[in-house]
This record gives sequence, structure tokens and C-alpha cells, in this order.
Amino acid sequence: MQDLSPATLLVLVPLLPLLGAILTVLLGRALGPRAHLPAMAGIAAAAAVAIALLAATARDVSPSHGPRSEPIRPVEMIATLWNWASFDSAYAPPPGSPAADLRLTPHDPAAGRDVRSFSIPVSLRLDPLTATMLTIITCVGLLVAIYSTGYMHGDPGYPRFFALVAMFVFSMSMLVAASNFLLVYVFWEAVGACSYLLIGFWFTKPEAARAAKKAFLVNRVGDFGLAIAVFLLWMSYGTLDFHDTISPQGVIMPGILGQTRLADASGYAGGVVGTAICLLLLLAACGKSAQLPLHVWLPDAMEGPTPASALIHAATMVTAGIYLIARSAPLFAVCPGALTVVSIVGATTALVAALIGTVQNDLKRVLAYSTISQLGYMFASLGTGTLLGFTAAIFHLLTHACFKALLFLGAGSVMHSMGGVIDMRKFGGLRRVMPITAATFLVGAAALAGVAPFAGFFSKDEILAALHAKGWPSAHEPHHAAAVEPHSAIVRLASFAADSRAVAPVGLDALDRPEVWRLLFWMSLVTAGLTAFYTFRAVFMTFTGPTRVPPGAHGHGGHGHESYESPPSMTLPLVILAIASAVVGWLLFSTNWLAHFLSATPSLTAPLVASTAAPHAFHIDLAIQGTLAAALGIVVAAIGHLGRRSDGPQMERFLGPLQTLFANKFYFDQIYAALVVRPLEALSLVAALVDRHLIDGAVDAVAGIPVALGEVVRRGQSGLLQRYALAGVMGVLTIVVLLAWQLRG
Amino acid sequence: MTPAFDPPLPGTILAGGVLAAAASLWLLLPNGPDRAGSRRLGTLLGLLALGAFVVTGRRLGGLGEEAVFLIVSLVAVVAAAATIVSRSPVYAAIWFALSLVGVAGVLLVLGAQFLGVATIVVYAGAILVMFLFVLMLAQPAGLAPYDRVSNEPFLSALAGAVLLGVLSLSIGRLSASPPACCGLPSRARAGADAAGTGQPPPAAAVADPLAENHVARLGGELFGRHLIAVEAAGVLLLVALIGAIAVVGRGEAAQASADADPGRPLR
Amino acid sequence: MNAMQSLPMLQNALTVGALLFSLGLVGILTRRNLIVMFLAAEMMLQGISVSLVAWSRHHGDWGGHVLVIFVLTVAACEAAVALVFVLQAFSRTGRLDAAAWQSLREATVGRTVDRELPAIDAVPPRFPTLTRAGVLPPPDENEPLQREHV
Repeated sequence: MQDLSPATLLVLVPLLPLLGAILTVLLGRALGPRAHLPAMAGIAAAAAVAIALLAATARDVSPSHGPRSEPIRPVEMIATLWNWASFDSAYAPPPGSPAADLRLTPHDPAAGRDVRSFSIPVSLRLDPLTATMLTIITCVGLLVAIYSTGYMHGDPGYPRFFALVAMFVFSMSMLVAASNFLLVYVFWEAVGACSYLLIGFWFTKPEAARAAKKAFLVNRVGDFGLAIAVFLLWMSYGTLDFHDTISPQGVIMPGILGQTRLADASGYAGGVVGTAICLLLLLAACGKSAQLPLHVWLPDAMEGPTPASALIHAATMVTAGIYLIARSAPLFAVCPGALTVVSIVGATTALVAALIGTVQNDLKRVLAYSTISQLGYMFASLGTGTLLGFTAAIFHLLTHACFKALLFLGAGSVMHSMGGVIDMRKFGGLRRVMPITAATFLVGAAALAGVAPFAGFFSKDEILAALHAKGWPSAHEPHHAAAVEPHSAIVRLASFAADSRAVAPVGLDALDRPEVWRLLFWMSLVTAGLTAFYTFRAVFMTFTGPTRVPPGAHGHGGHGHESYESPPSMTLPLVILAIASAVVGWLLFSTNWLAHFLSATPSLTAPLVASTAAPHAFHIDLAIQGTLAAALGIVVAAIGHLGRRSDGPQMERFLGPLQTLFANKFYFDQIYAALVVRPLEALSLVAALVDRHLIDGAVDAVAGIPVALGEVVRRGQSGLLQRYALAGVMGVLTIVVLLAWQLRG
Repeated sequence: MTPAFDPPLPGTILAGGVLAAAASLWLLLPNGPDRAGSRRLGTLLGLLALGAFVVTGRRLGGLGEEAVFLIVSLVAVVAAAATIVSRSPVYAAIWFALSLVGVAGVLLVLGAQFLGVATIVVYAGAILVMFLFVLMLAQPAGLAPYDRVSNEPFLSALAGAVLLGVLSLSIGRLSASPPACCGLPSRARAGADAAGTGQPPPAAAVADPLAENHVARLGGELFGRHLIAVEAAGVLLLVALIGAIAVVGRGEAAQASADADPGRPLR
Repeated sequence: MNAMQSLPMLQNALTVGALLFSLGLVGILTRRNLIVMFLAAEMMLQGISVSLVAWSRHHGDWGGHVLVIFVLTVAACEAAVALVFVLQAFSRTGRLDAAAWQSLREATVGRTVDRELPAIDAVPPRFPTLTRAGVLPPPDENEPLQREHV
């Protein structure tokens, strides 16, 4: 593979699953039970290539030398495929308008004025963040594909499923690799479409169709935000590319996240426009990553097949929002108010989702709300705006991908064996009949709850550390002081703040106060406890207590006793993911490899972000707080549910009226129905009536004119011979008279 | 020869005559109950129309010639009009016979001796008799209701008027020499040229129908130049004969098979 | 050649032919009795014959005469065949009415029926009769089938 250039390899990563998808579409029916082969081969090959790219990129990152002596060099590699759209001299901003800001608009010396050309090259960018995301996407995708050969066995839509999974892997890969905001938008929509198709996979079931529609429509709201953000970005920056490009006139056009602009601390728009862009990007991320208030689609998305839920609603698609904000770190860094809003949204969502998750009886729903909650954690971490915050979020994304996928696949294994039943009240004590599933599920649950030394512990610890650093900045100063190199980061900060034109203080910036961050920290700690509680409640209800199996569950006889364990195609991915959940966190944390690797991402080398770099430390105090919270949650869950001592009425009595509030998901769905859905339905009814009666009526009236004319003419056909003859004679006479008139004289 | 009187506006008189003819037909055609007043008015208008045509007619060579032509043409036209306005179809047939006599007279005046006689023999003698036979078989006693009404008399009279007007107009514009546009070789023109030189063209003597041996030369023309057509006409007659017998025969067979039906009584 | 002087004669004859033709046209369009329609058609042919002969005389050749002969022939054939069909039609509908055949009309158009006419007001003529002399002839069984007047 050494002779293949990295650019080719980068193109192969999305291309191979795409080919797999196309082949599955064409040959799926012919291949029959082997219809998974093209898609799985494509994804497996893409996984191999992604790992190779990860290794190649890691080689390029300069090794860390203790306390930083020089700023870390960004690593990126661009592969441009073709020019999708290109218009030279597309737009000349009027002089004096904000868009004519020379710092933001490239100046074209040939034209003598600021003229923008609109060009969208289809280019992919490989940097540490992209390499990480690609690895996660393709590897989890591969494991899910292997799992699906067992789970979807016998389903009439077997080829369609694999085609969709491969299509999704292609779309998501392109999303994280695209080096242009418009391309990101295109593949943002593409993953939304794949999600719709996968949620509604069993579309003959009305709930599934409705859930798919709901997911797509709620995502549309976020996509609207992204579209407006793209427009504003073009207006403000004159280009949509991430990387620097060379214009046809030979001028360097700084990309939005390109190294030219990153080096210039004042290269980013702050103030109202900048905050608007950031908030719109946040809106898009909320839609895709199911944060408040656009979180309502994710629990309903559990109608889809469990492997699809594992892939797109746990590990990869919902992380697109995290990726977007991480990628746009320089844009956010000049809007501290927007960053705070991100954290507030994240932490609030985490808490609310955790509360709702405590009263769910459907195992998949518990995991769905858990996903929302963990994504909230990641948002809270991103919102701190520090390098630690960004890298902790990505770290948590990685570990979350491992253990959440594991949990979902385990739930799928349970559901598959229990004959489609997933209500935890209907089965119990399954550890005796599904040992592998139980063991791996326990590992995943421990990772989710943040039990040392599993993966979730380390990543959650990092997030708490980031929040703590913002809440109690003095406690972390000594760390900062040693890290700050005498480069002009702080000087630039000061000069940036002094530049009143670019940074008009926005009201939101007032939120960036330590008190707010402390509140967010405590909320996150409480959420950690709740996470442990509902996770282990689910574990105890499902796997402990007397063994109960619902009727309709199909078991596999043998080994002398009834076994409901899933086939090896399903348990193998579980085991692999369990090993990953157990090991990856400790591995990455102890070597600090991931944080160092990610800090070479161009977006994160922005001075405002990179200047917050802190040396790697294990915050023992935060670790103890986190572990205490988790232990408390596990103990309460054990009291309530270990050995099935209670089935829920105890908890209902305990919670009282809160039970109804949590069970109804804080009435979000009802509020939306009243505010949005009903008025739209009324409007569409009006539109339907207008269409049917006015527009169709007009067309029918026009169509009725010949009919009416015909009715009039019809009456002339009386069947009487002499009347016909008279008509003929009159016609002939007309001609004769005309001829005589012409020939007169 | 100076004309008896020169009508000041022949076109107007002719137009008036045509309109009067149309009006008279409209009034005279059977249309519901008989109204004596309308019949009288119609007849008067018809006579006026005829008068107009007579007045605007061209003057012929001598008074005798004029008188003969006038009489026979009047007989033909008046009988023709009577044919179509008679309520009883038998009367109509008789009037038609009289019209045929008039037409034969016109043909004789025009010098078509054979055709004049042939008209009488074939039409009046054969075709008309066939019509009368059919009337005998099929005509109900008394006046059938469908004999007492006409189909769109006004429009039909109008159509006839228009046609007659156009034809009269065209006839009035005829001139001695054909228009230069058509370029048809015409013996008439050759005759006119020859008349200018005073010498008859040689072929004209053979072709002129007015010369002697009319029938013999007509026969020579028919069986000479038009032999194939004559033979074809003969075949046509044979075919018509066979066809008529065949159709009737089938009808009689159908009738015989339905002999339970006593047949329709004649009213 | 006195053919040249016959332009007035031509015009008069053509007028006669035009009159006959027009009368025949009106007759066909108007009269409902099939036989009278055919009489009118024959009258049109007569008008044509007159016109053709007049032209033939004017041009001084036989063309018109020959054509009239063929017109005569064809008219005879036509009359024969047509009368057979008239009889067929009569046997189907029981009358010689051209308006009896209306089946080829539009489905939405109703059948055209004549308006009611008052009873015939023509009194059949009373012919003079003589008292019979001699023996009464035997009664004729066909007597009810015989008409009293045409």
C-alpha cells in the first residue's frame, strides 16, 4: 500500500462502500442469502484503508516533547477530485458593507476590487480529526454489518438493508472528509436520508413510517439552520472551502479553516454575524445529534432495526453534530457566548434525557435516552472552548461509539432471542440463558456508567475536568502558566479584543461566567449518577432475578439445556466491542496519544484554542467525584432492581408526580404537536382544498369546454338523411359562391 | 334584329326572379295543412319568376324559333316545379312525365334528335313506369303524413335560390370567345377563326351535330371513339340487372321464411 | 357556321338546364317520399342533359351528346337498383318515408317525429256511378285491399 498515495487512499474510503452499495442494489436479489457480501467487502476494505490512513497521519504528527516549546504544526492533506460548480466574478460586495471587509473578503488584484468567485471543488481533507472519525465509522460499520448477517437473517429486505448500511457509511465518510461547507451540507442531508430509510426499513408498520417521517422532519429544522449558516459563511468569508485554494488569478484564497486564516488571529468574524453563524451551526448540530429542543426524533427512531440503531443512532450519525462543532472550533472560539450556549444546551439535554431514561421500560428506549444524554455530555465539553474540551469530546465520542454500539447490539441480541419483545418487564434473569450477551452487556454498562477502568470512566473524567477548569479557573492556573509559551497568543487575544470592529460584544457573552460553568459542572455530575442508575437498572431488570422468557421466544436447543444465545455472527462483534470498551479508554488516556494526535488538527491549532493547551494530568479529585456518583447510582439501582425485587411500583411511588413528567418525556412531543404539527396540518388541508377545487377545478373547467362544445354540435346529428344532404349542399354552395366571386371579371 | 324591349337592369330583374322563385317554392311546398292563400300567392310568385326569366332571356334568331323554344322550355320548367310541389306522388310522377316531354322538346330544338326521342323512350317509357309500379306496391291510400310535410323548406329554397343565382350569373357572363386563360382548343374558336376567313374547317363538317345524318354520325362517333365506354355501359346494365334480381331474390327468401307474418296491411 | 350565332341559344338553354337542376335539388332536399326524391334526382339529370347538349351544340362536337347517352344509361341502372332498395326499405318500415331511418343519430338526440297534422281535408272525389245491370258479380276477396283513390 506504500505506493498508493494518501490522496488515493482517502478517496477509496468513501468510494469502496459506495461501490458495495451499488453492487448490492444491482445484484442483491440475485445473490440471495449472500447479499451482504458486496457491502461487507466494501466496508471492510474501507476500514482497512481508514486504519492505514490513521497510521499514516499519526506518523506525520510531530511527537510531543513534554511541556510545549513550539506550537504544534497542523497536519492536513487535501485530495481534490473535480470542480462541481465554478463561477468567476460571481459577486462584488458593495463597498462599505460588512461583507467588503478586506480581512474577510479576498481581494482580486486583477480586477482591482473585491470580487468573489463562487467555486465548489469536490475535495476531501485528511487530518487527525477526519482520520479518527473515519476509523470509527468504518470499524463500527464493519462490526454492525457482521452482526446484521445474523440479526437480519431471513428478512425479506435483506439486500436492501446492506445497501443502505453501505450507503450510509459512504455518506458519513464523505461528510467527515469533505473540505467544503456545501459538501458537508450535501452529505449532512445524505446521512439524514439514509437514517430515514433505515428507521422506516419496515415501512409497512405504521409506527416505523411515522417515526421515519418524524426523524426526517425534525432533522430538516436543523438542516435549515445549516443552510442559513452556509449562506452567512459565504457572505462573511467569501468562500466555503475549509482549505486554502488558489484562485484562477493566482491569488491565495484563504479557506475558512485553512492555515492562512488560522495563523491570523483576527481572521474570524465575531460579533453578531459570527455569533449568528455559530448558533445556526449549533441548531444544525442539535438536529442531527438530538439535543434539546430537537431531540424528539431519536427515541422514536428505535422502530428501526437494532443494528441500524447501533450504527447511526449511537455511534456515527448522531456524532455528526459533534464533528461539525469540533471542525468549526475557530469560528466558535471568537464567540464565547455561543460556546456557553453550546455547553448549556448540552448539559441541560444530558440531565433531562437522563431523567426521562430512568422511567423507561423499553430497553432500547433506555439506550436511546442514554445516547442523547451522552451526546449532551459531548456538547457540554465542546462548549468549554478549550483544547482539552474539544479533545475530551472526541475522546468521549470514540469510547461512546464502542460501548453504545455494544449495548445496542446486545439489546438487539436480547430482542432477537426473545422473539421481538424488548419490554424489560416481560423477561428477566437472562444471564443464565444468554451468557455471552450478558457478560458483554455488563462490560458495556460499566463503561457507560463510568466505572474504572473501563472506557467511559476516562473520557467522562476528561469532560468533567474541562468543565471544572472553566468553573474554577484559578485552580487550573498553575497548569496554564507553564504551558503558555511566549508566542503572541495572549497578545493576540488582547489585540483581538481591542479591535472593536470585529468583536462587538454580544449579549450572550455575558453568559461566559464561572458561576454558569459551576452550575453546568454540578449538573453533569448529577447526570453521571443518573446514568449509572438507569444503566444498571436495565442490566438488573434484564439479566438478574428469576429467569423468565416470554412466549414466542425462540431458543436453540443443545448443550443439554435451553440456550437463547444468539449465533456467533452476532456474538462475535459483541465480544470485540467489549474488549474495545474495556481497553481503549485506558490505553488512549495513559499514553495521551489521542489528545496529542487531535491537537494537530488544523481547526484545533487556531491560536485561541491551542493557547488553552494544558499538560496531560489525571485529576484524581474529579475521578473520585465521578466514581462516587456512579457508585451511588449503581447502589440505588441494585436496591431497587437487583434480583427483581421490585418491578417498578416502588419507584413510581418514590417519584410520585415526577414519574408522569418523566414518562411523558417532559411533554415535548405534545407541545410540538400543538404548536407546529396541528397548524401545519390545517395549512395543508387548506392547500389540499385549494388544489383540488380551485386549481383542479380550473383545469377541469378548461377540459370541459370541448365537451360542452361537442354537446352543442352533437345535436346536429339527427340521423335524418335530408338534413345531412342540406348541410352538404350548403357547404358546396359556399365553395361555389366563393369560386364565382374569385373568378368574376 | 332589335330586341322588343331592352330591360334597363337585367341583373336586378334576374335577381328578383330568382328570389321570387325561391319564395314561391317555399310557399308551394307541402308543409302541413293546406292553406289556399299561400298556394295562390306561391303560384303568383312563381309566374312572376318565370316572367323575369323570360324577359331576361336572350333574343334568338327569329320569332318562330323564339316561340317554340319558349313554349317547350316553359312546359319543362312548369311541369318540373309541379312535380316537386305535388302532394300526391302519383301526380308528381305524371307531372314528371310532362316535364320529360318538355325536355325532349328542348333537346329537339337544340338539334339533338336522337337524344330527344331517347329521353321519351327511356325515361318516360321505362323509368317512369317503374316508379309508378313501385308506387302501386308501396304507396298507402290517401295522403301519407310524410307527403304532407317537407324537410326544411326554407333553407332548401334558399339553397336552390343561391345555386340558381350563381348559375344565372355565370351564364350571363358567357362570351363568344373563351377566356384566354383556359387555352382550350375549341372547335368553336376554330369555327370563329374560320368564319373570319369564310372557309369552314375540314373537321367541323364531320363533327357538327347540326349537319345531316345526325343519328348515323352519332352512332359512328359512339362506336368509333367511344367504343370501350359503350361496351362498359353495356356491362353496367347487365350488372345492374343481375344485382337487382339478386337483392330482390334475397328479400323474397327472407319474406318466405317469415311466412307466419301476414304482412303489413296497406292503409 | 350558325353554331357561332347560337350564343344566345346557348345561354337560354343553359338557363333552362339551371332551372331544372335547381328545382331538382330543392326537391331532393325537401320531399320526404322516397319516390318523389328519385323523381327530383332524375330531374337534376335532365337539367344536366340539357346543359350538356347545349354546350355540345355550341362547340360543334359530339362530346356532350355522348355524355348524355351515358347519363341516360347510368340513370336507368341507378333507377333499377335504387327502386329495389326502396322496396327493401319499405318492407322494413312499412312506409316510403326518408325520415323513417334515423338510427345513425347521436345517442343523446331523440327520434324526430312529425308534428300532428289535422286530418286530411281533401274529400275523395265522388265519381259518378251507374246502377249495375245484370247479375252481381261474385264478391272479390281482394276488395279490401284495393284503394279507392290514389
